[in-house]
Amino acid sequence: MDVSRIRALRGPNLWSRHTAIQAIVSCQGAEVAISELPGFEARLRERFPELGDLIPSDHLDTVSMAHALEFAALGLQAQAGCPVTFSRTAQTLDQGVYQVVVEYTEEDVGRLAFERAEQLCLAALNDTPFDLDGVLKEMRDLDEDIRLGPSTGAIVTAALARGIPIRRLTQGSLVQFGWGSRQKRIQAAETSLTSAIGEAIAQDKELTKKLLHASGVAVPIGRPVEDEDDAWAAAQEIGLPVVVKPQDGNQGKGISVNLTTEEQVRRAYRVAVDYRDDIMVEKFLSGHDWRLLVIGDKLIAAARRDPPLVIGDGTHTVRELVDIVNSDPRRSDGHATSLTKIRFDEIALARLEEQGLTADTVPGRGVRVVLRNNANLSTGGTATDVTDDVHPELAAAAVAAAQTVGLDIAGIDVVCDTMYKPLEEQGGGIVEVNAAPGLRMHLDPSFGKGRAVGEAIVGMMFPDGPDGKPDNARIPVVAIAGTNGKTTTSRLIGRIFESNGLRVGMTSTDGIYIEGRRIDSGDCSGPRSARNVLMHPDVDAAVFETARGGVLREGLGFDMCDVAVITNIGLGDHLGLNYITTVDELAVVKRVIVENVAPTGTAVLNAADPVVASMAHHCHGDVIFFARDRMNPVLATHRAQGKRVVHVERDTIVCGEGRKKQRIPLANIPLTRNGSIGFQVDNAMAAIATGWALGYAWDVIEGALAGFVSDAATAPGRFNVFDYKGATLIADYGHNPDAILALVGAIDNMPAVRRSVVISGAGDRRDDDIRQQTEILGDAFDDVILYQDACQRGRQDGEVIGLLREGLANARRTKQIDAITGEFIAIDTALNRLQPGDLCLILIDQVEEALAHIAKRIAEAN
Amino acid sequence: MKNKDIVFRDTISLRGPNIWTYPPVIETWIDIGELEDFPSSKIPGLYERLSAWLPGLVEHRCSYDERGGFLRRLEEGTWAGHILEHIVLELMTLAGLPDGFGRTRETTTRGVYKLVVSNFHEEVTRMSLDVGRELLLAAIADQPYDLDEAVRLLRRKVDRKYLGPSTAAIVLAGEKRGIPHIRLLDDGNLVQLGYGAAMRRIWTAETDQTSAIAETISRDKDLTKELISSVGVPVPEGREVDSADDAWDAAEDIGLPVVVKPTDGNHGRGVFIDLMTREEVAKAYAIAVEEGSGVLVERSIQGIEHRLLVVGGKLVAANRSDLITVTGDGKSTVLELIDSQVNIDPRRGTTELHPLSIIKIDTAARIELERQGLTGDSVPIKDREVLIQRNANHAFDCTDEVHPDTAQVVALAARVVGLDIAGIDLVCQDVSKPLAEQGGAIVEVNAGPSLLMHIKPGIGKPRPVGQAIVDNLFAKDASGRIPLVGVTGTHGRNTVAKMVAHLIHLSGQHSGLACTDGIYLDRRHVQKTNAANWEGGRRLLMNRSVQAAVIENGARVILGEGLAYDRCSVGIVTNIVAEAEDLSRWDTQPTGGEYYTTPRSIYRTQVDVVLPSGHAVLNAEDELVADFAELCDGEVIFFAVDPANPTLLAHLAAGKRGVTVADKRVVLRSGADETRLSRLVDAPYIGKARQPTHIANVLAGIAAGWAMGLSKEVLTTGLKTFGLDLADPAALILQAAKKSQPKKPATARK
Repeated sequence: MDVSRIRALRGPNLWSRHTAIQAIVSCQGAEVAISELPGFEARLRERFPELGDLIPSDHLDTVSMAHALEFAALGLQAQAGCPVTFSRTAQTLDQGVYQVVVEYTEEDVGRLAFERAEQLCLAALNDTPFDLDGVLKEMRDLDEDIRLGPSTGAIVTAALARGIPIRRLTQGSLVQFGWGSRQKRIQAAETSLTSAIGEAIAQDKELTKKLLHASGVAVPIGRPVEDEDDAWAAAQEIGLPVVVKPQDGNQGKGISVNLTTEEQVRRAYRVAVDYRDDIMVEKFLSGHDWRLLVIGDKLIAAARRDPPLVIGDGTHTVRELVDIVNSDPRRSDGHATSLTKIRFDEIALARLEEQGLTADTVPGRGVRVVLRNNANLSTGGTATDVTDDVHPELAAAAVAAAQTVGLDIAGIDVVCDTMYKPLEEQGGGIVEVNAAPGLRMHLDPSFGKGRAVGEAIVGMMFPDGPDGKPDNARIPVVAIAGTNGKTTTSRLIGRIFESNGLRVGMTSTDGIYIEGRRIDSGDCSGPRSARNVLMHPDVDAAVFETARGGVLREGLGFDMCDVAVITNIGLGDHLGLNYITTVDELAVVKRVIVENVAPTGTAVLNAADPVVASMAHHCHGDVIFFARDRMNPVLATHRAQGKRVVHVERDTIVCGEGRKKQRIPLANIPLTRNGSIGFQVDNAMAAIATGWALGYAWDVIEGALAGFVSDAATAPGRFNVFDYKGATLIADYGHNPDAILALVGAIDNMPAVRRSVVISGAGDRRDDDIRQQTEILGDAFDDVILYQDACQRGRQDGEVIGLLREGLANARRTKQIDAITGEFIAIDTALNRLQPGDLCLILIDQVEEALAHIAKRIAEAN
Repeated sequence: MKNKDIVFRDTISLRGPNIWTYPPVIETWIDIGELEDFPSSKIPGLYERLSAWLPGLVEHRCSYDERGGFLRRLEEGTWAGHILEHIVLELMTLAGLPDGFGRTRETTTRGVYKLVVSNFHEEVTRMSLDVGRELLLAAIADQPYDLDEAVRLLRRKVDRKYLGPSTAAIVLAGEKRGIPHIRLLDDGNLVQLGYGAAMRRIWTAETDQTSAIAETISRDKDLTKELISSVGVPVPEGREVDSADDAWDAAEDIGLPVVVKPTDGNHGRGVFIDLMTREEVAKAYAIAVEEGSGVLVERSIQGIEHRLLVVGGKLVAANRSDLITVTGDGKSTVLELIDSQVNIDPRRGTTELHPLSIIKIDTAARIELERQGLTGDSVPIKDREVLIQRNANHAFDCTDEVHPDTAQVVALAARVVGLDIAGIDLVCQDVSKPLAEQGGAIVEVNAGPSLLMHIKPGIGKPRPVGQAIVDNLFAKDASGRIPLVGVTGTHGRNTVAKMVAHLIHLSGQHSGLACTDGIYLDRRHVQKTNAANWEGGRRLLMNRSVQAAVIENGARVILGEGLAYDRCSVGIVTNIVAEAEDLSRWDTQPTGGEYYTTPRSIYRTQVDVVLPSGHAVLNAEDELVADFAELCDGEVIFFAVDPANPTLLAHLAAGKRGVTVADKRVVLRSGADETRLSRLVDAPYIGKARQPTHIANVLAGIAAGWAMGLSKEVLTTGLKTFGLDLADPAALILQAAKKSQPKKPATARK
C-alpha cells in the first residue's frame, strides 16, 4: 500500500462540509481486497479492537486496504477524543488506486492519525506489534496541545452557534471572528476591544484602588502613616476595622488584621515598626473570596472561591485525606475537568504548619483543614456559582469597577461576607480587577450551574442590529464558477456592490483586487486568496471566482456564500486533470459552491446549460434561473411556480417573479452591444440575478451595469474590440471549445469582408479539446493563423499545432492556414494582411504582453 | 555676614487655579531676616556672581519687560525673595522644564515674603527651592557652589518624575484644544485627558483605544508579517527556523543576502543583516536563538530604514535614518574619509545644537566594514563606495516625501494589526517612489512607538503628532469637558451646590457632587467626610461615570489647595462676608492694595476660571460679588431676591440674564423677557419662612441650572422637590398620600 498526495481540505469540499485529510492510496495485488489477505482483519482488530465495521460507503466495493486505512484513521481520532464522524474511500479510474478522505477537527491530529493508521495496517499485514495506547496518548496530547482551551473554546462555540465565521490565526488562542470590515478578534478572554491601558492599570493594584475609590467603589482604602498617633487618626478616617502593615511587607510579617480598638491599632503599629519604617493603615476586609465576571456593562457570572481543604474523619492523616479527595474522577491534573487535584506541596505544608499541623496529623472528625490561602482552581480550590444571588448594587459596583479600569471583560475579586447585600452595608470591598480572567469557574463550576459566558462575550462584541437581527459578522460573499464568463460576471457583480457603497474585494484568475487595486497577481482563484480577501479590514463585500483547482486541493476558503453563480459548464475545460474526466464529474466540483450556499442565500444558475440547471437540487437556499430564451423549459417551469427567473424578451432583460416583472433594456448595458454579444448578455443576466438575490434596488443594479465598460484597460482579454486601419480587431483569452463557440456566436453578428483568426492551443488540454477548437473556427473564418504557445505544458514541439491542424481538416470556410512560432509574430502576420472592413479575432495567450503589443501596433498605424 | 540666612517658614502646594495664577504653583513663605536690610545693590559682587553662574537670567524680562530686565533690577537693587524666585525659575529651566511663573509678595510681617513659583512636579519644585536657597546664600557669602552637580541631580529628577517628551507633546496638544489633563501616576506617563464621562486616557503613545490583542500581535513579528502580507502589504519573505542548518536552508530558499533575527526581539537585539555565507548565518543563529523566542530568516531588504507613524489610519509623520557612506580616493584611510567627507558637515557635532552626530567607528560600523573586507585604517581604491553605518539615527524628517501609495500601505498595515497608533519600520531606497518597483518592504509594526523623532527631528520640520493623537481621541469640537459647576462664597455654597446637583440629577445625567458633607454620585452618598476640597473635586473628575459635576470650594481651598479643576462651565459666587471668616493664617487683608491677599483676590478665582463658553452666576445684591462680572470670560447671570436691585436692572437693561422674584414666584429674566417658574411657597426648601438667604440660595441654584441649559420643567421640578428628604422611600409614600388630599400645599418640615 502506498499513500501519497496527502492534503488537508480546510473548507467545504467535494466530499463533505467537514474539514478532512485526503490522500491517494494505491493498493497492490491482494491489498485490493482484504478478504484475500488471510487473517488480516483479525490481526487488525486485535491491534485496534475499537475499529468499526468495514462497510464501504460505495457498498458494492470490495473492502480494500485503503478502506481499512480509512476506518482506522477515523477510529483512532474518535478514540483519542476528537469528535469526527465522516470518512469516505472512492475508487479512481485506475485499478487499485483510491481517494481516501477522513474528517479531522485539528489538522495536525488528522495528519498524525493518517500516519498511525497506515502503520497500524502495515503492522496487521506483517503481524508486527502496534502500541495502541501509546498512539492514542500521543494523539490525545497533541490534540490537547493544539485545540482551543476551554475559555477560548467556549467563546468560539458561541460564535459558531451564531453563525459567525471563525478563523484561528495562530496555534495559540488568537481567533478571528467575522470577515472583512466586520472582523474582530479574541484571545482567550480578551477581545480586540480590550484596552492595553486598561490591562496595564489592572496590573497596578494601587493605581486600580485609587481609580476605583474615585469612582465611589468600595475598596480597602488606606494610607501611609507617620507615627502611632497618625495610625489611630488614619484608622478613624478609614473606619474600623483596619489592617496595620508594613508597606511592601511580605510573608505576613508585622501584619495585624481586624483591629477594632484604639489600643489594638496602637499596639499593631508598634509591632509593625519593628519590621519596616513605612507603615500603612488599610481598611480590613473579611469574608469569602468571590469572583464576579463583568462583560461589557453587565455582570454575567459570579462564583464563590474556596481554598482547597480536607475534612478530618478521625482516622486518616492529612496526607491521606488529600489523596482521597484527589481520587475524585472530576479532579484532573490540567484544565480539562471542572476540578483540579489539590496540590500538596511546600505551600500546603507551610499552611499546615501555621495551623500547628503536619502532613501526618490525624484531624478529628469534622475538622476543616485548609491547605492554601488562595482559592485558585488550578491549585485545587473550588468554585461555586452564585450568579443568581448577587445584589444589584453589588453587581453595579463590579460593573463600575470594570469600566473605571477600562476593561470590556474583567474578573472582579471581591472580599465580603455575602452576595445578598451591597458592599458598603457589610464592609466588603473590591480587592483586584483582573484582565483576561479565567472563565472555567463560570463555564463549569465545581458546584452549581454553568453560565453562558461565551454567548455573553460574543453578544457584547457583536450586538444585535437595529432590526433586532443577530449580527453574524459576515459580509456578503458571492462565489462564481463555470467554464466561461466568470471574470466578466465577477466584475459586473463587483460593480453592483460598489454602486451600493460597499468596498469590494475580488479574486480571479489574474489576481486579487481590493477596491480596484490589485494586491496580488497570478491565479488567485483558490481558497487562500479568498481567505486573504476575507482577512482584509477594508472589504465590505467579496466576489470570488472559484476555480476547481483550489476546491480539489483544499476545499473552499469560506464556509458559506450568499450567492453562488454558475455561468456554464458546456463541454468542459481542463478535463483529465485530478481524476476529473467527464463533464459530470467536473460539475460535481463546480457544484461545491452551490452546495454551500447559505440557507438564506441564492444560487444563480444558467438554465440553458442542462448540467448547471441540474445543480438546483443541491442548493439549500433559493434558486434564480437565467437563460436568454424565455421558453427554456427549466426556466419556464421555475417561473410557472412563481419563482425568480431572468431572461430576454426582445430588447430587454426581464426579471420575473410570479406576476412581478422588472425590465432592463439591453441598450442600457453597453457591454452587450445592444444585445448583439450573446455571452455578454448571459453575463449581464447572471450579475443582475445576483444583485436581485442580494436585495439591492433595481435602479442601483441598472446603474451599475450601465456604467460598466469592458475594454482592454478594464477587462483585459475579455472581448476587447479595436479598430486597426479600418478593420475590426478582437482580442480574447478564450481557450476552450465553449469559449470559442461563444466568440463565434458573437462575431457572427458583426459584418466583415474577410475573417481571420489567430490561435494557439494550451498543451494541458486533452487532444480532443484542442482539435475541437479549430473545428469550430474552421466553419467561421477564412484565414487561420496557428502559433505555438510560449510554454508547451508538457507537449512535444509542434504537437499542439498538429492537433489544431487536424481540427481544420474538414473546415467549411477556412481557405488559408499558417503555422508560426511566437505569439507576437503571429499577431503581426495577421495584422499585416488586414484590409479595411476585415475582421480579425486574436486568441491571446500572454494577456498583458499581447495587449500591449497590439496597442503598440495600433498606435503605429495611426 | 554670618546671620544672613533665608528660612522657609511654610510651603503650600496649590495644585490648581489659585489667587496667583491658573496652573499649579508652590507658595513658600520665606523669612529673609536681616537681608531685608541688604538689597542686592548693597552686597558687593552678588550681581557679578549670579550673572556668571546663571547666564540664562539675562532672558528674564521681569520689571522692565525687556531682555535683561531682571539683571538690571539685580544691579539696581532688589531683595532676596525676588532674587530667589528668579534663581528657582532659572534652575527649573536648566533642568529641562518649560518656562514658569514666578511672583514674590511681601506680607504684613517685615522680612517675610510669599514666594510663588510654577509647580510642574512637586518634588522637583521643592528641590529647586532648596538648591536655589543654597546657591543664593553661597553667592551672598561669596562661597563656591557646585551648580553643575545640583543641575545634574535636578535633571535626573525631572527625567524620572516629569512627563516624558512624547506624553508631554500629547498633553500640550490637548491643552491647545482646551482639553484638560490629570496625571494619574506620580512618576509615570499615564494621563487622563478630559474630565469625568468625557475622559480618555493615554500612556505614552498608547491610548485607551489601543487594543491589547493588537499589541500582542505586533510583538509577534512572524504573525504580523503573515497578517499584513495576506492583504498585500510587502514584507520580507522568510520563515521561522529551528536550527542553524535549517536557517541556512531557509536562506538558500529565500535568496542571499538574508537577515537573521529573534521572532519577538525588539530594539535590534540579536538582529543580523545582510548575511551572505553559511558561517555568518550559523553565527547569527546562535546569537539570535539566545533571545529565547525563536529565530526568523528573511530576505534582506536593500535600502534605508524609515519609521512611519500612523495615527488613526493616517500617516502623520515619517522619518529616515542616516545612511553613511564614503567614497574612496585611493589615498585616504576610511577614518580620514569619514572626517573629510562626513564629519565636515557643519550639522554634525557633539552638542545638542547639532542635529547630527559625529560619526565614529563603533562596533556596528566595525562589523559593517569587516563585511566589506575593510578596517578604519584601510585605504579604499578611488571611487569605491564604502558603507560606514546604516540606520545611524532617525534624524531626517521625510513626511512630505512619502509616496501616497506607501502612505496607504502603512496605514493598512497598522489597521490589519489593529493598532490606532503604530510606528511602521519600512526599508526602501527611496520613499518617494512606490515600494513594489524598488523591492521595499515593511519589516516591523510597533505598538507604542516613540514620538520624539517626529517631534524633534534632527533635520526637517517637526510634525504635530501630539495633535494628531488628540484629534484621533476627541471629535473635532470636543474638549473632553463635562458640565462642571464650581460654587464658592461665604454662606450658602453647600446648599447651592446640592441644589445644582439635584437639578442635574433630575435632568437624567449622572451627577457628581463634592461638598462639605462628602461625595454624592447621583443619590449615593459614597463619602461622608468633608469633600469640599481639591481631593474631593478630583475624585469626581477622575470618575468615568460622572456626566456633570458640582464642586463646592471655600476660601480655604482657594488659599490652601487650589481649585480641583482648571476651568469650569459655571462659576457661582453666593456672597462674601469677610468678617465671618478667619483667614488670618494666609495673611489676608480685608482691604489692601494689589500686593496683599484680599477677599476679592480669593473669590475672584472662581470667576476667573469660567470658560468663554461658560457662565458666572453672581449675587447682584453683594457689591463685591457683583463687581466680578467684568472679570468673567463667559456670560454673567445675576441673581437677586429684590427684583428692583439696580445692578440686576442695569444688567437686564443691557439684554442680559438674571433670576429674581416677582409676584412671589421665581422668575427667569432675559432682557425684557420673563419666564415664571413656581411659587416660592411651593419650594419646600424656602417654605413659609421665606428667609431671604434661603431664597437667594435657590435663585443661585436655578440660575446655574438655567446657565447649563436645563429645561424649564427640570428647573420647576427642582424648585418643588429640593429640600424634600428623597432618600427615605417612606417619606415619598407619605408625600404621595398628602398630594392626593386636595388643596393642602406641601411644605417641608425640618
